[in-house]
Amino acid sequence: MSYIKSITLKNFKRFDEFSVEFDPELNLLIGDNEAGKSSILLAIDLVLSASRSKVDSVGFEALFNNDAVTHFLNNGKKYEDLPVLYAELYLCEQNNAFTHGRFNSLTQNCDGLLMEIQPNQDLSLEIRDVLKQEDNNFPYEFYMVSFKTFSGNSFSSYSKFLKHIFIDHSQINNDYAMREYIKSMYHINALGSEKRTHQNEYRKHKETYKTTVLAPLNNRIDNYAFAIRTSSKANLETDLTITEDNISIDNKGKGKQSFIKTEFALAKGSEKADLVLLEEPENHLSHLNMKRLIRRIKEAKQTQLFVTTHNTLVSTKLNLKKSILINSQTTKPLLLKELSNDTAKFFMKAPDNNVVEFILSKNVILVEGDAEFILMEAFYKKETNDELEGTDIHVISVGGTSFKRYLELAMILKIKTAVIRDNDGDYQRKCVDNYKKYGNDHIRVFAPSDNAKYTFEVSFYDKNKANCDALFEASRKSRTVLEYMLDNKSDSAFEFLDKCAADIVTPYYMKKAIAWIRG
Amino acid sequence: MDKRVIFAVAGSGKTTYITRQLTEDQRAIILTYSINNLENIKTGILKKWGFIPQTIKIYSYFEFLYSFCYKPFLSYSYRARGINWESNKERFAENDARYIDTYKRLYSNRIAKFLEVKTVIDDVKSRLSKYFDFIYIDGVQDFGGYDFNFLKHLVDTNLSVLFVGDFFQHTYDTSRDGNVNGKLHADYSEYKQKFEKMGLTVDTTTLVKSHRCSPTVCSFIANNLSINIESARDDVTATLIIEDIDQVASLYKNASIIKLFLEQHYKYHCYSRNWGDCKGENKYQDVCVVVNAKTWKALKAKKMKELAPLVRNKFYVACSRANKDLYLIPEDLLNNYLNPQPSKSGQLSMF
Repeated sequence: MSYIKSITLKNFKRFDEFSVEFDPELNLLIGDNEAGKSSILLAIDLVLSASRSKVDSVGFEALFNNDAVTHFLNNGKKYEDLPVLYAELYLCEQNNAFTHGRFNSLTQNCDGLLMEIQPNQDLSLEIRDVLKQEDNNFPYEFYMVSFKTFSGNSFSSYSKFLKHIFIDHSQINNDYAMREYIKSMYHINALGSEKRTHQNEYRKHKETYKTTVLAPLNNRIDNYAFAIRTSSKANLETDLTITEDNISIDNKGKGKQSFIKTEFALAKGSEKADLVLLEEPENHLSHLNMKRLIRRIKEAKQTQLFVTTHNTLVSTKLNLKKSILINSQTTKPLLLKELSNDTAKFFMKAPDNNVVEFILSKNVILVEGDAEFILMEAFYKKETNDELEGTDIHVISVGGTSFKRYLELAMILKIKTAVIRDNDGDYQRKCVDNYKKYGNDHIRVFAPSDNAKYTFEVSFYDKNKANCDALFEASRKSRTVLEYMLDNKSDSAFEFLDKCAADIVTPYYMKKAIAWIRG
Repeated sequence: MDKRVIFAVAGSGKTTYITRQLTEDQRAIILTYSINNLENIKTGILKKWGFIPQTIKIYSYFEFLYSFCYKPFLSYSYRARGINWESNKERFAENDARYIDTYKRLYSNRIAKFLEVKTVIDDVKSRLSKYFDFIYIDGVQDFGGYDFNFLKHLVDTNLSVLFVGDFFQHTYDTSRDGNVNGKLHADYSEYKQKFEKMGLTVDTTTLVKSHRCSPTVCSFIANNLSINIESARDDVTATLIIEDIDQVASLYKNASIIKLFLEQHYKYHCYSRNWGDCKGENKYQDVCVVVNAKTWKALKAKKMKELAPLVRNKFYVACSRANKDLYLIPEDLLNNYLNPQPSKSGQLSMF
C-alpha cells in the first residue's frame, strides 16, 4: 500500500506556506468555503498526474498565491525575488531509488514527488525586460512547470508511482471532468497489455465499419470516401463510457452520477487505486445515499482517501479524529488526532449535532436548551445593540450533558467558548468543580451562583416577572406562571420573543457571558 | 562479502564474467566507464534472461555520479544544469567556481570531488546500501583523478564489490584533473597496490587468456607492446604488415574489414572507426589497423614501448579487436583517399 505521508505547499493558491501530515487511510478536510480544501486536492492531483497540459488548463496565474505576486510587484521587482511555487508530496517507503533523496524543501532523505513552477532561466533576458516595464506586469508567461522526484530527477505522466482518482462532485456536469474520471477508471482497471489490444481492436473495428457498412455509400462516390475518425480526439479513451444496467453514466441524474463515481472508484476489485480524492461527496446526494456512500468509504481500507466536506454527517460518521481543519484565517491546519476515542465516538453516534459548525467557528456560546437558544439573539441585541447574526459568534444548543465533548474540541482548536448552563441546584459541584480541567483562557462556564436559581427559566422569570405574568397569567388555572414556563420551555420562549423582545431583561450570568465572549 | 578487482586482458570475457555473476533477484548496480561497455552489459543481460531484471540497474559512470549521487543530495541547492566535459580552464577558481561553470554545469572531472567537499559521501554510501547488495564496475582502468579516489568510497560500503579492467586499455583521460593521481598509470605494480590499499583482493589470474585473439595476434601484441597476453585458443591466424599499394587499396575497399584509425576516421570514406572508440567492441573478424606515421616508425624500429602510453594503449585496443586476421597498414598510403572537404558545389550540382 502506497500513500502520502505529508504535503508541503509554497505560494500555492491561497497558501503562502502550508504543511500537514496525512493519515494513511482517511483524511477529512473540513473547512469553510474558500478555506483551501479543494486547493489541497488540486495540488495532490497535479503532482501525481505530472501533466503539463493539466497545469496549463488551470493556468499559472490561478495557481500562484496572489499575495506573493503583489508583494513582489510592490517591492522593487528584483529578478532574484521572483516568487516560486512548489507542491511536495512526501511518500511512505517506496523501495525505489528513483523517488528517494533530499530534493525537497525540508532536505528530508525520503521518497517523494514534487511540482515546481519557477522562472525559466533560459529566458532571463526577456524576464529582465518585462520587469523593467513601468506597469505592474508579472511575467507568468516566462515561468515553467517541472515535475521531479526527491532524487532530483524528472518524471512524467507515464511513470505512475501512485495511482489516483480525483472525483469532483461540484463539477458533476462538467464534460471534461467526466471524461477524465472515465479515463482514470479505465487505466486503473485495465491491464497494461489489455489496453493496447483494446485500442488496436477499436481502430480495426472502425476500419471494418468503413469497408463493410459504409462501402455501398462510398462506392457511389468518386475520389472521396466517408470513414470513421481516428485521432487524439476520437479514440477508445474519448469514446469510452461507464454504464450501469446498460444506461450510460452521463445519462443518469446528478445524484446518481455522484454515487456511481465514488462507489465504482472504491469498489472491491478496483482497489488498485492507491489514492482516491473526493471533493464534497455530499453534493447532490440524498440523506439515504449519503449514508450508503459513507459506508462504502469506511470499507475502503487499501486506499488512502482524501475527502473535502462541510457536512457534519460525512465528517462525524467517518471519524472526526481523521479531520484536518482548514480555516480561512490561518494557513496552519489543525488536526483532531488527539481527540479522545470517546468523544469521536460520541459525535459519530449523536444525532444531528452541530459539530462542523462548532469547528468552523472562532467564538461560540454553547447553551443547554432550546429556550436559551431561542432567546439568545434577543439578549445579545439588548446587551450590545448589535445583531448577533452579523458577528463571528455562533450560538449552538448542545442539549444536556455533552458540553464536555465540545470543550475537548475547543481545547484542541482554541475556540473561544462560553458555556451557559444551569446549576441544577449545586453551583460549586456542577459548574465549578466539574470544569476544572478546562480552566483555560478561552473557555469559561457561566451559571447563576445562587443554587435556588437551579434552571434557566427560574432566572429568566426572576428578571422578567412582569412581562411573563402579563403574557401567561391569564390562562393559568392550576399551575403558576413559572410552572407553566418550565413545562413549555420552547413555546413560552417563542411567545416571549414574539411579544416582548424589546423589553427583555438578561439574567446576570448571561450578561457576563456576552460581555466575555465579545471581549 | 567479496571485494575484488580483476585485471584482465583484451577479449578475455570481462563483460561475460560480470553477467555470469548476476542472478535474477540480486540487487546489483553496474557501472561502466564507457557507453560501449554499457551497451555490452545490456546485451549480455538480455542474452542471459531476455529482459533486464527490475533489481539490476546499469549506469554509465558519469550518469551515476550526476543522477544517482549528485542530484538526490545537492541539486536542490545547486541546481546544476548538466555536465561540462571540458576541464576547468580557470586554474585559480575558488569555492563553488572550481566545480560549476558559468552556465551552471558541473565539470565532469570534479563531480566526485564536489560530493566530497559538500560532505554527501555518507549519504551516497547509505543510498547505495539501501538499494543494492552488489556493485560491479567495468572498465575500472579508465578511472583517474578524483574519480579514482571516489572508488575507495564505493569499496567502503557493505556491498560486495567486483571491479574489472585492463591496465593496458587505459585510453580515456576524461577523469584527469591536474596532478591528482597524475602518475596513477605510470607503473602497473604500484597501480595494483593502490587497489590493495582500498581493501580489494587483486586478481590477475581469473581472466588472463584472450578468447577473442588467436595465439598469433597475442604474440604480436606481447612482442611489440610487452603486454602479457595469452590466447585461450590454439588456431593460427595471420598478422600481416602490408606496404604494397595494391594490397592496401584492396583492403581499404573491402567493406567487410574494419579500418581502425588513431583519430579522425571520418576523414576517410570507408568502413572505419577510431582505435579508442572500439574498446569493448567484439564484432570484427578481420581487422585492418591503419597506423599513423609516428607509430609506424616505432613499429618498424621495434621501439613501441617508447610511444606515449595513451597511443600505445589505443594501439593495443585496436589490434586486440581481431577475432581472426590482423592487418597493419601505414596511414601515409591512404592520402589519396582522404575525403575532400564536403563541398558546397557538389550539393549545388544536384539542382
